[in-house]
Amino acid sequence: MISYNKRRFLIVDDFSDFRASVKGMLSQMAAQHIDMAANGEEAISLCREQQYDIILHDYNLGEGKNGQQVLEELHHAGLISPQCIFVMVTAESSQAMVMAALEFEPDAYLTKPFTRASLQQRLDRLVERKVALQPILAPLTKQQYGAVLQACEQIIASQPRYAPLCQRYKADALKTLGLHEDLEAQLQSLLADRPMPWALNMLANHWLEIGNLEQAETLLEQGISQFPMLPALFDALSQVKLAKGELLKAQVFLEQAVKISPNNSQRQAQLGKLARANHDPDRAVRAYRQAVNLGRHSQFRDPEAHLNLAGSLQDQAGDAAPSPKAMLEIRQTLGDVSKGWRHDPGLTARADLVQAKSLVKSGKQVEADELVRNASRKLGKMDTFFTAAAALEVASQLRELGQPEQADTLLGTCAEMYGDDPKIMAGIAEQTTNPAILQAGEQAQAQNREGIRLYQQQQYPAALDSFRAAQALQPRNISFALNTAQSLLRLLLTEPTDELREECLACLDQLRSMPSSDHRHERYRKLCERVESL
Amino acid sequence: MNRSGQDPEDDKGLGFSTVIASTVHDMKNSLGMLMQAHAELAAKLPPELSNSREQGIIEYESMRLNGMLVQMLGLYKLGVDQLPLQPVHIEVEDFFQAALARHQDILRSRQIQSSYDIAEEGLMGFFDAELVDSVVSNVINNSIRYAQNAVHLRAWVEQDQLVLAISDDGQGYPERMIEAQSDYVLGINMTSGSTGLGLYFGARIAERHQRDGVFGHIEISNNSALGGGEFRIYLP
Repeated sequence: MISYNKRRFLIVDDFSDFRASVKGMLSQMAAQHIDMAANGEEAISLCREQQYDIILHDYNLGEGKNGQQVLEELHHAGLISPQCIFVMVTAESSQAMVMAALEFEPDAYLTKPFTRASLQQRLDRLVERKVALQPILAPLTKQQYGAVLQACEQIIASQPRYAPLCQRYKADALKTLGLHEDLEAQLQSLLADRPMPWALNMLANHWLEIGNLEQAETLLEQGISQFPMLPALFDALSQVKLAKGELLKAQVFLEQAVKISPNNSQRQAQLGKLARANHDPDRAVRAYRQAVNLGRHSQFRDPEAHLNLAGSLQDQAGDAAPSPKAMLEIRQTLGDVSKGWRHDPGLTARADLVQAKSLVKSGKQVEADELVRNASRKLGKMDTFFTAAAALEVASQLRELGQPEQADTLLGTCAEMYGDDPKIMAGIAEQTTNPAILQAGEQAQAQNREGIRLYQQQQYPAALDSFRAAQALQPRNISFALNTAQSLLRLLLTEPTDELREECLACLDQLRSMPSSDHRHERYRKLCERVESL
Repeated sequence: MNRSGQDPEDDKGLGFSTVIASTVHDMKNSLGMLMQAHAELAAKLPPELSNSREQGIIEYESMRLNGMLVQMLGLYKLGVDQLPLQPVHIEVEDFFQAALARHQDILRSRQIQSSYDIAEEGLMGFFDAELVDSVVSNVINNSIRYAQNAVHLRAWVEQDQLVLAISDDGQGYPERMIEAQSDYVLGINMTSGSTGLGLYFGARIAERHQRDGVFGHIEISNNSALGGGEFRIYLP
C-alpha cells in the first residue's frame, strides 16, 4: 500500500465541482494536504510558495494558459522538480496534446471522467515508478549528470520495465554533457529497434545543430512519413531548409506544422519571420497576429511579434497608406508595446519609429516628426544595445524617416559591437558606403584573428597582447572583450594579482550592454561568475 | 492519406461528417458532466440506494455510451487522417490494471470477477496506449454485458507480436459473426450495432501498428478458457 497522507497535492481545474470531486477522491485515499487552484496563474504562484509531490492539472482551462503552457512555464522557472508527479487531466483524447509535448511531457495523462479506482491505480503506479527511479532523480535534482548516466545504465540492466524511460534520461544527460558521439550512437541504436518520435526528433535536431544537414533531412523525411501529425518534425525540417538557405521550402514546412498545431506563439512568430523574408505579407500578418494573441498569456510573450505584426501590416499596404482598419490595428499593436514594455527605451523607440512610418504614409508629417524626435531621445537612454538584426532594422527606419546621421551613428555602434561577424558587416554595407563605419574595425579584427591563432598555439601571453590591442581599438566589441577577458582569466589562474583581476572585471564591464538574447551571453555570464569567485 | 493538401471542409460529405463529429464531441462532454454529477450524487446516497440495480444500470450504460462516442470520434479522425499513431513503451500489467480499474465499480456491482494473466513478469509493449485502450475498454464493456461471473485478460508474445486477449464466460459470439468476422473488419457488415462497430474500430487501430511490414490485426473466437467469447488484438 502506498500512503498518501504525507504527500502534498495540487488540483488545478476551472470547475469548482470537479475540484471538489477530485479532492473527495484523494481524501478517501487518506491524502491530507490538498491545495486547489482555478487557473494556471494561481497554480504557478502556489508552486512558487511550496513544492508539491503530485499535481493534477486540467489541460483545458478555458481562458488563459492551458495545462501544457503551465507545465512548460514551471520547467523554465525551475518550479517543478524531477521528483514531482505531474498528471495532465484531459476532457478528451490526449492525442493532440501529446503531439505538442515532445519536450516537456507530463508523467501521465488521465482522461475525464475517471473513478477513484482509476485515479488510485494511476497514482500508485506513478509513485512506484518515481521510487524506482530515485537513483536517477536524486542526482538529476542536483544536476550531477555523470551520476545520472551511471544510474541509467544500472536500471536499464536490472529493471527492463523502466528501461524506456531511462533511455530518455540518459539521452538528456548525454546532451547536457555534450557527449555528442555517445548520444548519436544511443539514439541510432534505439531507432534501429523502434521508431520512437522523441528519439527521432532528438537525433534530427542534434544533426541540425552540428551541421549534418543532409542526414537530418533524410531522417526527418522518414519520420514524417511515419508520423505525419507530429509538428515538431516539420519544425525541424523547416530549420534544416532554412540552414540550407531554402527559405521558400522552410516556409512551406513550417506552414504544415502550424496547420497541425496552430496554438504555439513561437511557431507562429517563426512563420511570420519566414513569410516576411519571402515577401509574403498576407501570411506574415496572419502568423504574427496569431503569435501576438497566443503570446498574451504565455511567458513567451515577445515584443518582436508585435513590432513585426505592425511592420507586416505596413508591408501589406505597399507604398500606399494602410487602410483605416489596418491603421487602427497598427496603432493598437504598437500601443501594447509602449505599455507592456514601457521601461525598455529601445523597444518603445522601435514602436515609435514603426508608427512614424504609418503617419508619413498617411501624410501626417508633423506628428511623425514628433515621434521620431521622441524615439531619438529614447535611443540615447538605452542600457542594453540592440541585437544586430534590430540595429540594422532601426537604422534603415531612421534613414527612411530622414535621419541619416542618426542612422550612421547606430550603424557605427553596431559595427563596433558585432563587426567581427562578416554577415553583419555585409548587412551594414547594404545600408551605407561610409568608409569610417565599414573600415573602422579592420585593424582590430586583424589583431583579434592573430590573438585567436596564438591562443590556439597556447601562446597565451602573446595572445592576450593581441586581444588587448583589438579591444583598445574597439572597446565595445563583444568578441574582443570576451577573448581578452578569457585570456586574462587563464593568466589569473596561475598568477592571481589584483591588477589582472581589476583589468578582467573592467573588460567584462564593457559587455554590460550586450543583449541577453545574444548567443555569447551564457559565455559572458560564466566568465563573470568565475572571475568574481576568485 | 489521399486527402492531404485538401481541407476537410472542401468536401461536402466530409463537411457533414465534421458537423456530426462536432456534435458527438459535445455529446461526449455532456455525458462526462452527467457521469460526474451522478457520481457525486451517488456518493451522498445511503449504501442501500447507492448499490441499487438502477445505479448499476446508469453506470454501465453511461460507460457504454461513452465508449461508443469515443469510437465514433476515433472513426471520424481516422477518416480525415487526423488520428496519428503515438506509440510508446508501456508495461502490459500497468495497462491491464488501468483498464480494469476503470470498470471496477461496474464489475463489483454485477459481481463479476476480473483477473489477468501475463506470460512473463515485466512484459513490455510498444503501441499507442490510448487507442488500444479504447479498443480494449470497449471489449471489456461488451464482455461485462455477456459474462456470467468472470472476465479474464491475457497477454503473451507470439511470433514477435504482442497479443492482448479479453475473454468471458458468457454465451460467446454468434456463430455467423465469427464466420463473417472479416466482413466486420472491413466494415461491410455493420448491422450488429456496437459490437460490429467495435470490431471495425479495433481492426483499424490494430492495422495502424506495423513493424517491418507486419501489420496488427484482430481475431474473435469462442475458444476461450472460460468458455465464452474471446477477442484478441495482435500488435507487432
